[in-house]
Order: sequence, then C-alpha cells, then structure tokens
Amino acid sequence: MRGPEIVWYLAVAAFLFATGALGVLLRRSPLIVLLSLEIMLNGANLALIAFARLHGESSGQIFALAVMAVAASEVVVGLGLIVAIARKRLDLDVDKLSFLRG
Amino acid sequence: MIVAAWICLVAPLAAALSITLLGTSISRRVAAYMATASVLGSFAAAVVVFAKLETESASARSNASTAWEWLTAGSFHVGLRILVDPLSVFMMLIVSGVGFLIVAYSIDYMDGDDEERRYFAYMALFVFSMLLLVQAGNFVMLLAGWGLVGLSSYLLIGFWHERPAAVAAAKKAFIMNAIGDATMALAFFLLIQHHNTLNFPPALHVGPGHGWLVNLVALGLLGGAVAKSAQIPLQTWLPDAMEGPTPVSALIHAATMVTAGVYLIVRCHAIFEQAPRVEELAAGLGAGTLLVAGLIALVQTDIKRVIAYSTMSQIGYMFLGAGLGAYANAMFHLMTHAFFKALLFMAAGVVIHALAGEQDIRKLAGVGGLMPVTRITFLIGSLALIGMPPFAGFFSKDSIIAAGLARGWYGDVLFAAALAGTFLTGLYTWRLFLIVFTGEPSAFVREHATRPGIHAGPQLSHSVGPEGHGEDDASRPHGHAVQEHRGEGPFWLMAPVLVLAVLSVIGGWIQFAPLWHPLSTWLDEVTPPLATPSNAQEAVASVLAVVLGLGGIAVAFLFYGRHRRAVPRIAWAQTLLERKFYFDEAYDFAFYRPAVWVSLQLGRWVEGPIIGGSLREIGRGAREAGLGTGRLQTGLVRTYVLAIAASLAVITIVFVAVR
Amino acid sequence: MANVLVWAVWVVAAFSCLASGIAVISFSNPFFSALALIGNLASLAVLYLLLSAEFVAAGQVLVYAGAVMVMFLFVTAYLGGRADAPWAGGPTWQQVGAVLAAGAILVEVIVVIGLKAGGRLSHEAKIDAAFGSPHRIGRVFLTDHLLAFEITSVVLLVAAVGAVILGSHAHVRAALTSDLDHKEGRLDAGP
Repeated sequence: MRGPEIVWYLAVAAFLFATGALGVLLRRSPLIVLLSLEIMLNGANLALIAFARLHGESSGQIFALAVMAVAASEVVVGLGLIVAIARKRLDLDVDKLSFLRG
Repeated sequence: MIVAAWICLVAPLAAALSITLLGTSISRRVAAYMATASVLGSFAAAVVVFAKLETESASARSNASTAWEWLTAGSFHVGLRILVDPLSVFMMLIVSGVGFLIVAYSIDYMDGDDEERRYFAYMALFVFSMLLLVQAGNFVMLLAGWGLVGLSSYLLIGFWHERPAAVAAAKKAFIMNAIGDATMALAFFLLIQHHNTLNFPPALHVGPGHGWLVNLVALGLLGGAVAKSAQIPLQTWLPDAMEGPTPVSALIHAATMVTAGVYLIVRCHAIFEQAPRVEELAAGLGAGTLLVAGLIALVQTDIKRVIAYSTMSQIGYMFLGAGLGAYANAMFHLMTHAFFKALLFMAAGVVIHALAGEQDIRKLAGVGGLMPVTRITFLIGSLALIGMPPFAGFFSKDSIIAAGLARGWYGDVLFAAALAGTFLTGLYTWRLFLIVFTGEPSAFVREHATRPGIHAGPQLSHSVGPEGHGEDDASRPHGHAVQEHRGEGPFWLMAPVLVLAVLSVIGGWIQFAPLWHPLSTWLDEVTPPLATPSNAQEAVASVLAVVLGLGGIAVAFLFYGRHRRAVPRIAWAQTLLERKFYFDEAYDFAFYRPAVWVSLQLGRWVEGPIIGGSLREIGRGAREAGLGTGRLQTGLVRTYVLAIAASLAVITIVFVAVR
Repeated sequence: MANVLVWAVWVVAAFSCLASGIAVISFSNPFFSALALIGNLASLAVLYLLLSAEFVAAGQVLVYAGAVMVMFLFVTAYLGGRADAPWAGGPTWQQVGAVLAAGAILVEVIVVIGLKAGGRLSHEAKIDAAFGSPHRIGRVFLTDHLLAFEITSVVLLVAAVGAVILGSHAHVRAALTSDLDHKEGRLDAGP
C-alpha cells in the first residue's frame, strides 16, 4: 500500500525526540522527566522501525524491541528511586536534589 | 723509575682511603702509624726516583707517564699524566721527606684526640694532593692537586670544627684560594685556545708575538700563586689559618702548600719570561709582602702567628727570587725554609703541647729554662731563619738577595727591600726567642710546668673554660687530656724536631754559590736562570745581609734582653701594625659588605616575591582553577542535560558541515 | 482509495502523536501527563502498523502502554500528584537554553534528513508478507541476534533485582547492604 514516504515518519520521529528533550530540560518534577524520557525513546523507536521498513531488514525491529525492554527496566529503577526519595520526605524537585554538588 | 713515581704519588692516597674505610675498626694509634708509614714509603720511592734520574743524561731527564686518557673533546686530550724531571723530583723529596717528619710528629702531638683518625686521613690526603700538584704532567692535574691541597687545608684548619674561630678561618682560607683558582682556570682556558693541549712541556711555551695572551695567562697564574702562597693582596688568610693544629701549620702553611705558588712560577717560567712586566710584578709583590709581614710580626703576641708572618715574609723572598729569574735560588730557599720553618713550628708545638695549649707569648715567657732541648732547637731554627752562617738560611737567602744586584735598577730596589727584610727578620725572630725561651718563667709557666712528674690535668673543654686560661685565640685541643710535662715531650714529638734541627744546620751546605753549586746544576736544565750574580755581588749581598741580621738581633737584645728597656711606642704605628695594615677591614668593606647587601636585597626582592611568589602563584592558580572548575558541578541535573543537548546540537552541525 | 485511507490514518496518528507529546510536557498535573503518554503510545502503535511492524506494535501496546504506564500511574497515584508549573515565572536561562537546544536539534535532524531525502531515503524496499510477523521476529531474534536477546533478558533481571532492593523497607535494606559492606570490608556501614 502506498502512503507517506518514509521521510515523513522520520520527521515525526525527530519531532518526538525534540519534544522529549524539551520536556527533560524544562520540567522539574522527576516523574515528568521520566515521562519525557519515554517520549524520546519512543521517537528513536519510530525511526528504527521506519528504517527497518525502508531497507526491508528485520534487525531494526529487533533493535526496537530491545530498546523497549531497556526502557522498561530503566523506568522500573527510576520509579523505585523516586519512591525512595519520596519516602525520605524530600522535595520531588530536580533542582533541589543537588547533593552531588562540586 | 716511573713505577716508583706512581707509588710515591699513590701511597698516601691509599693510606687516606684505608683509614677512612676502616674507621673505628683500627685503633687511633694504628691509623697514625699507617699514615706515617705511607708518607715514609713515598719518601723512599722519591729517593729511588731521584737515584734513577741522576743516572740518566742531563738532556733526557724529562719523563712523562700517562695512566689513562681522562678527557677527550675533539682533538683536545687530557690524561692522568705525571712528569718526572729534576724540578718535580726535587719537590717530591721535600714534600715527602718533611711531610714524613711532620706526620710522625703528629703521632704524639695528636695523641688522645677523639678524632685522631680523621686527622691522619686528612694529612695523608694532603700529602697525596701536594705530590699530585708537583708531579702533575699537565695543567689539569696541577689544578686538581691545587684544588685538593686547598680542600685539605680547609679540612685541617677547621679540624676542631666545634670552634667557630677555626671554622671561620677555614672558610676564609678556602674562599681566598678559590679566587686564585678562578684566575688560574681562566689562564688555562686561554692556553687551551692557543695550544689545544695542556700537557707539559708543550703548554709551558707560548711562542713570541702573542703579547696580550701571554700577559693574561701569566697574570692568571700569578693570581693563583699569590692566593696559594699568601702574598699581598691575598695574604689575610694565613694568620687565621693558625687555628689549626700545630703540625698542620708546620706542614701546610710553612713547608709545602704555601710554597706551591713558587713552584708554579718556576714551573711556568717560560710563560713568565715572555711577560716580563708580570714577572716584575711578582717580584714586587714578593718584596712588598716580605716587608709588610716583617713589620706586622713585630707586634704579634701569639707564638704561632709570629711564625706565620715569618712564613709569609720568607715566601716573599722566594717570590722575589722567582720574579728576578733566579729560579734555582728560589727553590733552594724553598728547601731550607721548609727545614727551619717546620722546625720552628714544631718546637713551638712542643711548648704549646706542654703548656695546655697556651699560645700567648706573654704567658709562655721564660719556658726555655724548663725545656733546654727545645730551646736549643728553636735557637737553631731562629738562626737559620735570620740567615746566620753556617746555618741553612744563610746560603739560600743571600743568593736570592744577590740576584737582585744582577738585574738592573729595579733589581737594585728589590735588593734594598730584601736587605731591609733581613733586619726585620732578625728583629722579630730574636724578639720571639728572647721572650719565650729566655728570662724568668712567667706565672703561668710556673703554675703549669714546674710540678715534677705529675701528668694529671683538668680536662679542658674549649667552648667554656671555667678556669679561663688565656684569651679566645689560644688553641685548645678538644677532648684532649692536658699533658703537662716537666721538661720535654714524648719521643715522637722530639725526634722529628731533632732531625729537622740537624737539617737546618747542614741543609744549606748543598750549595755555596761561588764555590760549588750542585743544586743549581741539577735544576738549571729545567729552569735556566735569567741572571747569575757574580761572585763579587754575592759577597756584597752576604756581608750586608749578615750585618743587618746581626743588627736586628742587637736591637732585639736591647728591648727584650736581660736588661729590658722600654720599647718605644708610636701610637699610630702600633695600631697600624696590630690591625695588620687594615687589610681585613678593607676587604670587609670592599667585598664582604657589598656581597652581604646584595644577597639581602636579592633575598628580599627576588627570592621572596619573584621566585617564591611565582611558585606560590602557580600553586594558588592551580587551586583556584580547580575550585573554579568545581563550580561547574552544580549538582543540578537539568544543567547537565542542557549542556549535553547543546553540545549535541553543535557537534551535529560540525559533522554535517564537514561532510 | 486505499492510498487515501492510509494517508488519512497516517495524518490522524501522526497528529495525535505530536499533540500528546506536547501535552505530556505541558500539563502540570503528572497524572494528566501520564495519560497523555498513553495516548502517545497508542498513536505510535498505529504508526508501527502502517510500517508493517505488527509484532512491535503489539508489543508496544502490551508492554509499554499496558505495563510501564500502569506502573507510572500507580506511582503517580501513590505520590499524590505534586504539581509544578513549567512556564511559571519569567523565562529563565535554563528555559531559554532548553528551547534553543531542542529547537536546534530538531532543525538539524530535519535538515539532515532533507539532505538525504533525494538519495537513499526515497526507495522503499520490497517486502514479503511475513515481514514484521512474530514468526520472522522470533527467527531473527533466536538466530542472528541471539546475543542481544540474552543480554536483554539479563538487563531485565538486573532491573527486577534492583527494583526489589530499592523498594524494600529500610531494615531489610540495611540487612542486605550491611552484608555487602562486611563482605567488602568497608568501614562505614549503613544504607
């Protein structure tokens, strides 16, 4: 079936990535930052799938699956950290969590 | 013969090294015997060399031997090279012979000292250094020996290193010698440039037509000689050097090291002859020194310092002789001077040793009655020094004085100065003899030397003397049980003194200029003289010298003899002489204070702010940079991520643009 | 006709993707952000389907939207949804820089894609019917990319262990970590 060329998918992927980056840079709540991180990863995934379709290679899809697994693990650990921080009654604000100061 | 020469050189060095390495595993006495035996071995080897050299024909008497090539720079080679010729053999015999006697004397003089081993190691090192100097086959070895004798002198003057006066004197001697070393090194550089070698004999000759060069080289060599031989203007270190033990004064500062300057001039006579002004300067400095030293000796109250100034004066005679071109005569006087000056020092040492280290002649007055043998030997030495026939000094000194008559108007001036010197010599020497060895014993002498057979004595420590005997300039052997004898000293103390007394009597008989002169014949092939005085001139000089010497003795009798008349005192003259013509003050003002001022200013303006400051600033800068960079670590994750994103943007542009 | 349908679906999916993405970063309530993300994930699944990646699309919905987002929602609910307004106050350095950087990245990527568009990006490869099917994915995973498969499983295991430790109660954690401290011989014990 015909549809938009692969280029358009790539454009969407780029936009998603940029949006995610913007979210990581702008938001102060670590939860939202994690969500933005997810958006970035998804943008990359979309690009991978698009290239897989372009070249007819399944490797791209395999890679996308691996990315998904890694993203899931990372979210698990990140959320665990956020819960631990909340349990210590600290402010959930990345600007205030700056103990590793130089 | 060459082997014997090498043995002569190396034996004392072996002794020095052995004593150093064996340390406390050998007893002090054994160390003393080792050092003495090594010098005796040197003397024996020197005699062998002399005997062998005598058998060779006159023209073939210059033998050089190189142990190995030490330094090679392109076409310039320097080796460990010794030269055996009449002049060096002559010096070898004197150095090892008199050295043996003095080192033997030290066995009993330094007996009981805590650091006796170090002393004997240094003495052996000194003998080696002096032998290296006289046996050197090129200027580099000579300079090595030169420096090593300076080092040994420093080590031995400052032997009792807890005494600040001794340490200061050692430093002073070394620094003044270093000035001479510097001028000599400069002379050697010029010679290297001219000749491309420093070996003897090539480097000893500079062809005609190099006026500037040869004059500068001669001046450089003269500078070294003046420093080492304590002539004006570099003479102020010698009286201070009397802080060392008496045998040291005898060996280094009378018999051998201070004569190295004379040896240098005689060895390099060819260069000096090409630079006649410099040669005349040398003679003039000698004449000046002999007068100045003689005058200062008139007011000295320390027995060793009188003899030191006498040494300075006599070396002035040798410089005079060498400057006038009478090389063999100068060397002859060097030999006889070694005999009687060492004798005088050692006899004085017997007295000092017997009287708890006291050196002030006012305290030592009248000790002669208790020590008759010492008195006789001192008398012999004094007469030899003044130049009375038939003692040694008469033959040698008068030949130098006569040489002045054979060299034109300038020689005549020097002749007059030398004669004046004999008068002064007679005066101060007889003064010393009369005060110390004649007359009634002083209170001090009576207290310390008239208890029969008692060898007990308070253990004197030198830094604080609760009994307070004597002023600060009396030498006190440290850790040394005071030896008080009734009568003379122990065997090793007296035997060398007696030997030297005999030599002072017969030593001059080897040459009586008008009649027989084997010494001149021996040395002349190496150092042909510039002028030989006629028999008439010799006779005139001898008669005048003897008359003036007797005149000095008579004046001394007048003031210091049995019926003492008051010595006339002219205040300004007295002060001038007592302050040693203000040389020390002048040097302090001209050199020491500016140097101190410069170093203080450097310390304040350069070392503190610039050097210290730059280092401080570097450290501070590093720390500040670290702190500043640390401020980048805000701990805020968002800034980090922003930095990463911005970098990513930039890098992407770069990559795209490059493609 | 089919072409128009595909285009229409694409437009809707892409638009909702972008819109939900912007929504995620804009809402002040994290709960709403999470919900927006679920929408994003769903739109992406549609796009994957359009790209003949059926298995990945299914996996996306099941794993991402089904598990990960549920976890997010649980935590958000647990934490009480603390709010922070992103655009409050004047534009700070950080915000200006963020916008600029993100914008720059976007522009650059577009430019790069555009530069390559005329060349290699315009010819889609011919694919067969089994492309993107579980059968194909499974075969490739277990033959060509076996190492990636195994490593991914290890990563998941590690994450699980880490999550258990992070989530455990303090005394349990102290007991666990003090064992480690003693084993490693450190002087300071404690969580």
